[in-house]
Amino acid sequence: MRRIDAVTLSTVWHAFQSTAREMRHVVDRTAQSYLLAQMHDMAAGIWDARSRTIAVPEGPTSMFLSQKFAVRTVLEKFGDDLHPGDVILTNDPYSGHCNHLPDWGFIKPIFHDGELLFVALTRGHQMDTGGSFPGGYFPNGYDIHAEGLIIPPTRIVDRGVERTDVLELCWANVRFPEGVRIDNAALIAGLNICETRLLAIVEKYGRDVVLDCVDEMLERTERVVREQIAALPDGTYYGESATDDDGTVLDEQVWVRCEATVQGDQLTLDFSRSDAQRKGFVNCVYASTYSRAVAGSFLFFDPALTEFHNEGSMACVDVIAPPGTVCNAQYPATVGGSPVNVGTQVLEATVAALSQADPDRAIAAWGRRRGHYISGTDPRTGERYVQTTTDADGGAGAVSGHDGFEGAAGFSGLGSILRGSIEEVEIRFPWRHVKFQFATDMAGAGRWRGGSGMEWEVENVGSEASVATGSSDGDTTHPPGAAGGADGPLSEMYVIANGERTQLKTHRMHFIAPGEILGKVSGGGGGVGDPHERDAAAVLDDVIGGYVSVAAARGTYGVAIDPETLTIDEAATAALRGSGG
Amino acid sequence: MYKITIDVGGTFTDAMVLDESGGIRQFKSPTTYPDPSVGFMNALELAAAAHGRDLPALVADVDVLIHGTTLATNALIDGSGAKVGMLTTRNFRDVLEIRRGHKNVGTSMYDVFQPPYKPLVPRARRLEVAERVLHDGSVLQPLVEEEVRAAAARLADDGVEAVAICFLHAYANPAHERRAAELAREVLGPECYIVTSAEILPMWREWERFSTTVLSAYLGPVVQRYLTRMSRRLAEAGFGGSLLMMLSDGLVGTLDYCAAHAVQMVRSGPAAAPAAALEAGAPAGCRDLLSIDMGGTSLDVCVIAAGEVPMTRESWVEQERVATKLVDVHSVGAGGGSVAWLDSLGLLRVGPRSAGSTPGPACYGKGGTEPTVTDADLLLGYLPVDTPLGGQIALRLDRAVAAVETVAGPLGMGVDEAAQAIFTTVNAFMADQITEVSTRRGYDVRDFTLVAGGGMGPLHGPFIAQRLGVDTVLVPASAGTYSAFGMLAMDVGRTYVRTHVTRVSELDLAAVQRLYDEMEAEARAAFGEVEVVLARTADVRYVGQFSEVEIEIPGGVLTAADLQLAVDRFHSRHLELFTFSMPWKGVELLTLSLRATAPRDRALAAVGRAGGGDALKGTRACWFDGDRVHADVYDGARLPAATAFAGPAIVEEAGTTMVVPPGFTCTADRTGGYVLRNTRAGEPLVAAGAERGDRS
Repeated sequence: MRRIDAVTLSTVWHAFQSTAREMRHVVDRTAQSYLLAQMHDMAAGIWDARSRTIAVPEGPTSMFLSQKFAVRTVLEKFGDDLHPGDVILTNDPYSGHCNHLPDWGFIKPIFHDGELLFVALTRGHQMDTGGSFPGGYFPNGYDIHAEGLIIPPTRIVDRGVERTDVLELCWANVRFPEGVRIDNAALIAGLNICETRLLAIVEKYGRDVVLDCVDEMLERTERVVREQIAALPDGTYYGESATDDDGTVLDEQVWVRCEATVQGDQLTLDFSRSDAQRKGFVNCVYASTYSRAVAGSFLFFDPALTEFHNEGSMACVDVIAPPGTVCNAQYPATVGGSPVNVGTQVLEATVAALSQADPDRAIAAWGRRRGHYISGTDPRTGERYVQTTTDADGGAGAVSGHDGFEGAAGFSGLGSILRGSIEEVEIRFPWRHVKFQFATDMAGAGRWRGGSGMEWEVENVGSEASVATGSSDGDTTHPPGAAGGADGPLSEMYVIANGERTQLKTHRMHFIAPGEILGKVSGGGGGVGDPHERDAAAVLDDVIGGYVSVAAARGTYGVAIDPETLTIDEAATAALRGSGG
Repeated sequence: MYKITIDVGGTFTDAMVLDESGGIRQFKSPTTYPDPSVGFMNALELAAAAHGRDLPALVADVDVLIHGTTLATNALIDGSGAKVGMLTTRNFRDVLEIRRGHKNVGTSMYDVFQPPYKPLVPRARRLEVAERVLHDGSVLQPLVEEEVRAAAARLADDGVEAVAICFLHAYANPAHERRAAELAREVLGPECYIVTSAEILPMWREWERFSTTVLSAYLGPVVQRYLTRMSRRLAEAGFGGSLLMMLSDGLVGTLDYCAAHAVQMVRSGPAAAPAAALEAGAPAGCRDLLSIDMGGTSLDVCVIAAGEVPMTRESWVEQERVATKLVDVHSVGAGGGSVAWLDSLGLLRVGPRSAGSTPGPACYGKGGTEPTVTDADLLLGYLPVDTPLGGQIALRLDRAVAAVETVAGPLGMGVDEAAQAIFTTVNAFMADQITEVSTRRGYDVRDFTLVAGGGMGPLHGPFIAQRLGVDTVLVPASAGTYSAFGMLAMDVGRTYVRTHVTRVSELDLAAVQRLYDEMEAEARAAFGEVEVVLARTADVRYVGQFSEVEIEIPGGVLTAADLQLAVDRFHSRHLELFTFSMPWKGVELLTLSLRATAPRDRALAAVGRAGGGDALKGTRACWFDGDRVHADVYDGARLPAATAFAGPAIVEEAGTTMVVPPGFTCTADRTGGYVLRNTRAGEPLVAAGAERGDRS
């Protein structure tokens, strides 16, 4: 291979990155689903003709690192029968390596002078994909066919001409065809922008130079990630995490177990000891497990690399998940809940294991997802709606050196997923907010504490609504803390009807009548380090702000604070913390 | 009478004086700390001296003075804003801190080792009161006045200097906020700075509105004190004209308006750049412009298509969201002081860290040892070793060599080659950023003309243009005082907004008319006798979408046909921006805006060219793409109008140095500016890059 000069290399590299960002931006600006436009539950990226990952912008970890598998499958399936202007659609976890059926992936081969050079993919969670209930996170489906329409890799645009009959077949099987049609258009627009930009790069620098740059990008990244892994002490580290239940077999926790082995410059993440595949909808396909595990490992590498990860990084990480485990479910297992659980648990277990390899870069898990899919009718328009949110999720986990971010939502999105706007929700949906604020003492304690949990209540001012709590977790299981920090607290969910408060559970279907209030109190992120080592002044600040109570300051952190004067009793604190401690 | 503009930047305070004949003169004086009004007056003293007068004599002859300043931005960066308290709707006090979950601002999501965001108002000073308004403006829970008084008293005890009153849905009905402000005023007294969210930004989306309001409260007392001090100094000097401030929305406004809307000062300086670019493009009839303003620490990019200044409501200013409409100037961490370094991938990177003005680039000889862009510029021969830069500093070649050696070694390059690599890298980075800014808006940069302003813009601009495939570069006469020049070209005006969410199919024309009428009445009241130009727009989207596209709305009495026209425009704009449109889908209207401007009173003629004497100072050895060639060096002030010459050449101007690369021709125009054209436009750049790669 010809050697590429450093300047051309970084220019081309940056151009791929900014193209991937622009793809995401186009979808952001034009999509109509809350999940896509507001929560950014989507992915976009660029692969080469050998399905090697070149560039992926930020987004939910479940979404893109494994998409090389989808790209490979499409290239194998269609072979020579791919042409400029084609777009392939798939949402199939089994034949298309998607997480679950609502994630529709659009794949476009990009040709230059008749030669396939790149493959672009945009993928996003559709507001509906058929199945028993709207939205996609409903528990207790019989098998994957009960979860909605399955689309194996299917050509939907043939040499630039939309195959409308095929698309209409898809749209006829979803509840909100008009909305899904818009979001499909948004995702395809992202691919078209990508094609324009990549061809311009090839025109400008020449095919050979650009392809050589790609090789060099991958090689350089692999070299550096290997150095980073080599710097970790050799050994096997263990992390585990559980979800409340699988939604079908109720009240029985499901465990994900990760053994992380550092051997020289190779990292192996082995999920063999995880529970067996379940009846319920928490199962991950391998691609889903792969994405989370690899993303988790990236957190432990030099932050300067963050924008540059590609196939080179992935070459250094092996992910083992034997078929038949909950981390590599086989057809026809249901997988609807897997992006939340056990997908989150895969990430949590990975991070918990690696935090032991490098305690100076320990990372606690974030507050669990406290999502829902509410469907009903809006009396103002007479139209049906599906509403979902991340608003009630607890905050970020702590890391060595810093408290968790207050307000950040969803470990598996690492902060790329946004919360809603109260005013926007009230204009759009027949639900009125009663409460949306931090909950006191609902964060994992530690030398660095987690971000707070939330108190969140909304009143139903529309028709009777169904509430699927499949995207909620953490009533009986905790997000793990790290390096001696506490786990994130447990969460709860309730309905208030006629002044009576009734507990609701995760992974169930509930119904809420007009005038009733749906409420959630969520646990925040886990802590890092011993709470008794937390700076007493920081504990006092937490008490003054109402994040931590006077009682917890004393009981958990060993800091005695006078509730009247809000000052620290130094002597009592020293005694509580075992003096000199 | 004179018109004067003064732009207080981080390092220099720039002044421009426009006389009645349209002649312009520019002056530079160091910015002074902690009181920048001293430097402000120094710049005026310089101007007076140059006009052969004492300060009072000049000032008495000034009818309009327009002022931009980085004061507000600096207060935010160094945390010196006011102690702010917040009154907000019960059970919703954390909206500000949750900030909709935004985590990494300007960093990657894989970088989890970041300190958490700390809002400008800590939780203990975010006090709740019972009240609740709904999205249609109706009241669910009346305001409990006793609670407002009690909360205000607590804030008074706490010694707050400012209060932000932020209630849910206040854009739909501001009565509760207004009443709470009155009550708070009674308790906290006239000294306290009080703002409500509906007056700062009467638009839906609570976090965006609250964040903007809180920032306004945080900056308010600082801005107010400064304006008071400034106008007193001017009055003492005998100033009797009108003093106007440069606002972030690209308009200039009165001191009173500015004091009450302090958030409008966050981009006070950069917001003037588009006006400078438009003025520079006017003689050549260019209205598709890429404006760059490159200084010591940053590059400000603004993309102007068809003469239209881009605006945004989604700005981050440091860690704060500002949702008032700001001129969409994208700031990139690349300037003369940007430091070159090697990352763990072994790639050369430049910036975003800057050596600033202290110690500054290594060649300043003030203790800097890291290689910067300016050091590379010096080594490549573009900057003079002999003459001090900007009249301030003599550049030291030996220091630049030593600094660049620190990256040359690891890269396996010689010093000159490494300097070339730094230069090329920073130019490529800037070009990429410019492309990203413009393509996000759906434009192809090659259709644009580059306007290069700022101290470093005329040096790097032609090379950036080369990378972008842009064949024409305009360097304004006042490139070195770019923003101050823009302020001279500025219209006086103000923007108004009202949120009114409705589907177009169900739209009540009378209601929309009423809101525009209301805003127009406000505008007329604010401008008094002055004739104003009113421009209406509306934010429109497909039903269900979350982002809006701003569409022009005709003036006068609205008809159904006007509305249809606007909808048609929306469809075609959507297609243009995002590659598709959906005429089959319903359309909804969200926020109405009105921009009221009073056109400026006077045309700018020219800085003019003195000409005369020998403009050619000699030659200097410079590196261009690995070749060492001798470039002619001109004294810009002596070049007569219409002089044309070919690159390679260097033109030294008062506040800047311009480089004309090989393959470019340069024409000195009669306004004192330059037009550069790339005669080799269209040739692929990669040839040069690949060659270098092969050789190494």
